[in-house]
Amino acid sequence: MERRRELVSFLPVLLLTVVGFASVYAARSSQIGAGSLGYGLLFLGIFLVIHVILRLAAPHADPLLMPITGLLAALGIMMIYRIDPALAAAQATWLLVGVGLFAAIIFFLRDYRKLDDYIYVLGLAGVLLLAVTAVAGQDPNNSGVRLWLKIGGMSIQPGEFSKILITIFLAGYLHSKRELLSTTTWHLAGIPMPPVKHLGPLLTVWGMSFGMLLLMNDLGPSLLLFGIFLAMIYVATNRLSYPGIGLVLMSAAGLVAYFTKAVVHLRVDIWINPWTDIQSKGYQLAQSLFAIGDGGLFGTGLGKGYLLLANGRPVVPALHTDFIFSAIAEELGLVGASGLIILFLLLCHRGFKIAIHAEDGFSKLLAAGIAAGFGLQTFFILGGVMKLIPLTGITLPFVSYGGSSIVANFASLALLILISNRTNSARAGTGRSAARPLPAASSEGAA
Amino acid sequence: MNGPIRRLFYATVALFAALLGMLAYQQVVNASSLANNPYNTRKVYAQMSIDRGLILASDGTELAKNREENGLYYRVYPQGDLASPLLGYNDVKYGQTGLEHSENDYLTGTADEVELTNFFDMLSGKQQIGANIKLTLDPKVQRTALSDLQNLGKRGSVVALDVRTGAVLAMASTPTYDLNNLDADWNQLNQDPNGPLLNRATEGLYTPGSAFKLVTTAAALESGDFNPDSKFNDEKGTLNVNGNIIHNWRDQPFGEHTFAEAFAQSINTTFAQVGEKLGQDKLVEYQQKFGLYEKPPLELPPDEIAISGRYENGSLASPGAGLDPVQVAWMAIGQENLQVTPLQMAMIAQAIGNGGVMMKPYVVDSIMDRDSTVIKQTSPSGWKQPIRPDTAKTMTDLMVKVVNDGTGFGARSDKVQIAGKTGTAEVSGRGPNAWFVGFAPAQDPKVAVAVVVENADESGHDSSPIARDVLLAALGM
Repeated sequence: MERRRELVSFLPVLLLTVVGFASVYAARSSQIGAGSLGYGLLFLGIFLVIHVILRLAAPHADPLLMPITGLLAALGIMMIYRIDPALAAAQATWLLVGVGLFAAIIFFLRDYRKLDDYIYVLGLAGVLLLAVTAVAGQDPNNSGVRLWLKIGGMSIQPGEFSKILITIFLAGYLHSKRELLSTTTWHLAGIPMPPVKHLGPLLTVWGMSFGMLLLMNDLGPSLLLFGIFLAMIYVATNRLSYPGIGLVLMSAAGLVAYFTKAVVHLRVDIWINPWTDIQSKGYQLAQSLFAIGDGGLFGTGLGKGYLLLANGRPVVPALHTDFIFSAIAEELGLVGASGLIILFLLLCHRGFKIAIHAEDGFSKLLAAGIAAGFGLQTFFILGGVMKLIPLTGITLPFVSYGGSSIVANFASLALLILISNRTNSARAGTGRSAARPLPAASSEGAA
Repeated sequence: MNGPIRRLFYATVALFAALLGMLAYQQVVNASSLANNPYNTRKVYAQMSIDRGLILASDGTELAKNREENGLYYRVYPQGDLASPLLGYNDVKYGQTGLEHSENDYLTGTADEVELTNFFDMLSGKQQIGANIKLTLDPKVQRTALSDLQNLGKRGSVVALDVRTGAVLAMASTPTYDLNNLDADWNQLNQDPNGPLLNRATEGLYTPGSAFKLVTTAAALESGDFNPDSKFNDEKGTLNVNGNIIHNWRDQPFGEHTFAEAFAQSINTTFAQVGEKLGQDKLVEYQQKFGLYEKPPLELPPDEIAISGRYENGSLASPGAGLDPVQVAWMAIGQENLQVTPLQMAMIAQAIGNGGVMMKPYVVDSIMDRDSTVIKQTSPSGWKQPIRPDTAKTMTDLMVKVVNDGTGFGARSDKVQIAGKTGTAEVSGRGPNAWFVGFAPAQDPKVAVAVVVENADESGHDSSPIARDVLLAALGM
């Protein structure tokens, strides 16, 4: 049933993909070759493979996750192809690696709940990855941000992977400690507060995020990590005091960073006014806004926007990675770009829905953490490129160019697929009409 | 845990709603402000990546072409300063003027007629290519006009029209500038009090003085009250109109004379009397018949074409505004705040030379695609008929007399009979504006010309030789 819905939902996705590549080709055939149809076929192939894998290994998994992410990835590679066909070929390769990892997780990690037994190992691995990056990280494109680790000939962004590992750790850890963390001993302005001694985990993650910011010079990954943690501890404890205290701590850290870290200071200044130093520091954001504004209601059309300079370099630096949304907003307009935002909201909705229906706390926390991660990451980068919030360098999941990002996001997706498959299998087994009361509802008020 | 998960989802919805709101703000509300930001170069680059069409003179001389560099096209003007204000500039920083502005849609290939032929090119992915524009401008005539003015070293302008078609053969304005050095010279050009960027031919408003007696004469002849033999007597060289004194040139008295002699010698006292007799309505009627108070329909940008007529406090007066007899008398001799462009005066000469039919002036002969296939061809058409053919004939005779026996002797040529009218309009604070307005050959008019020189020699004869040279050049003599 779920797989048939998935197949039907994928038809419009495939159609959009083919039409999209065809229009890019039509608009830029003088500059690019006729490889566009190949990408349409590639997507058809990838999807059929995933569909068969799911039929075999996770037949009851959520039917909309793959069509949604498929459309996001297609849109991304289409824009990358339009910006630089050579990068699209690399992205397609990473997509295949991502699908490979996805398949491996689906097959070999079907009982993902075993991860609960290894959370400390996984968490430690996640922190170590960050620590290694912080110490030995590189900055290959001189962006002032050390997020890359050179392994062999490849640059990877360990932050993308440690994000998943730490999410898994938090799901297990918070699940086991939730009753303890949920106790409140005092009130602040009527809000029940946890005992100070239980603030340890919060302070630890806060310290770690702050450390990441200081050592790696970047806001994005540290903010995202802290955000995911706050979302998950809130889900685990149902205590608004945690995200409340967390936001206060984050603001304090932000304030310190603003006055001590040049990069943070700069990002905030540019956000407040990108026009004062438009030729150098404000250039990227200003050009991003020019591109977005140029899109108007319906966009310039795929392949017709002013994305590249005469020498082939993008007008907006980092157009294919962090700023890919600016390119989409220019060429597809408000209509297309809002469609993309709504697509991400749908993705989050599926994720939170999977969390609500999951039968055990670990699965709930894991699904909610992944969904919150997708949502926050999307909000941070989109808000940044359209001047809603200060810019934080981070990729747009499934859309931006970047091997680490694509592969890691497919791994997260695989976990959501497994969780939903487990839930739906159990339901199918117990009879579809008798939906059991959600067990979480009864244990929620533990004080 | 479902409660907080649900609330987390609502929070996500709120964040995404903020994203959608900001996106709509940037793409709809803020879009035009972003587009007009001076640092937003996307329009300019889009414009510069177009292979802009050439501008050619009537003989195929390239007046504007492109130099390509890294896929961007830079405008080059092989003839330098030859026709700068007419061609105008197409500059990333300073915008567009002249034909580069008004013909932009053709030059960039975005005009409907051009796009039709480009459609298949577009499908096959070819770059947008602009259409070429061929002008009626004759480089020989233009060169003569410009160098005569430049040799004189004074501000001035020349307009030469084809009498039968209204085609612009020359349009010069001095001082001028080299279009290729626009960027380097920009500040200097803008601060120069002589206004080199100005197209005096169409934007320069000058007091016509005696040259305007052409219009007064047309009204006088067609009123039936006057003919070339009408008798006048001028004993004092001045005329008292309600206590206001109108002077002849150096208060010279002419004694008994005819209308034809008054025209040839440009006798102000006589024409002031004629004007008084005709009255304001008649004078204004003929001014309007000759196209004053209207924008000449030339292809230049409308804001670069001034309207000729009577001006009050710097703006065009209503033609019907009541004037007292003194003002009417002054108007008849081309004063009373009358302001005309050289183009307007050339059009008046063209109409008289063309048997009374004023043609629509035009400078764009045809639009061609890159294979020289003509996309659009201008066909000459009449604009107005200010006077009857017989009046035109009579006026031609009067104008021949001006050159042969009168004030226009400076335009005399032994190669061809030139007909014309001079004007020496007093300007307070400096030398007069010297005019010559006429056409040739008188018996079979082919070329009309208007010349104005500012701060001219007191004798007022700076213009006539220039007019002669330009007419001879246009006639190939």
